[in-house]
Amino acid sequence: MALEATSVRVGQELPPLVKGPITKEMLKAYGPAAGDPNPIHVDDEFAKNAGYPGVFAHGMLSMGFLGEFLTNAAGVGNVRKFRARFAKLTWPGDLVTCKGTVTAVRDAEGVRLVECDVWTETQTGERKVLGSATLALPR
Amino acid sequence: MPSKDMIGRELGTGSATVDAEHVAAFAKALGDDNPAYRGPGATAPLTYPIAFMTQAMAGGMETFLELGLDFMTLVHGEQEFEYVRPVRVGETLSLTGRIADVYEKTGSSGTLDFVVLETEAKDDGGKPVFYSRNVLISRRA
Repeated sequence: MALEATSVRVGQELPPLVKGPITKEMLKAYGPAAGDPNPIHVDDEFAKNAGYPGVFAHGMLSMGFLGEFLTNAAGVGNVRKFRARFAKLTWPGDLVTCKGTVTAVRDAEGVRLVECDVWTETQTGERKVLGSATLALPR
Repeated sequence: MPSKDMIGRELGTGSATVDAEHVAAFAKALGDDNPAYRGPGATAPLTYPIAFMTQAMAGGMETFLELGLDFMTLVHGEQEFEYVRPVRVGETLSLTGRIADVYEKTGSSGTLDFVVLETEAKDDGGKPVFYSRNVLISRRA
């Protein structure tokens, strides 16, 4: 695991995770797997009728990428809190990079609690999904 | 449209067993090949509760329509999870959902309705496993 209780420090970057590029096939697979039947992610006509240029990725797909990224950094079972705000839409063709930095470190019983800001950004550098997480690293 | 009267309303309950194939399919759809999500002692990815809640909650999509949100413009605005421990394949979890908040915001493009749902998952020993907070948004017609 990339973060260690003994060495983690404020300002440290979490190892980035690159996912995608997003394809319409990925969106078609994610909806049924997550139980999300919203046609706005798979049906271009439906998306256009709703006022978008076409289908866009489920926010939870990007949050899922961030979940993999956090698990890589902290280890399975070591994430206590995880939140995301779906600020901007992610489109087919977008290459999604998960990034994050440590914003605070404090000790609790048996663990070092690490607060992080996390986000996804695409090839243009635009941040799409903005979030934060609390990691509990064993001491 | 959603109304403030709905705040505090219980959204129904549900329970289901965490299925190995469901978890594996979810991890695959994310392109996440972490071996922790397969085989004996498998746990579920961090965002798997969203799939589990949809599967286990009685009512499903009808519940969303009951909220008064406009399906055509419905989007997921925010999601928050608090984990007591990882979700384990093979265990049975019970869910209780409630409407935590209802509010609106008006801007240049019209009025947006916000509904905040909170869900608690407990294991068969009655111990909490995770909490979820979900902000849904739709544009008022």
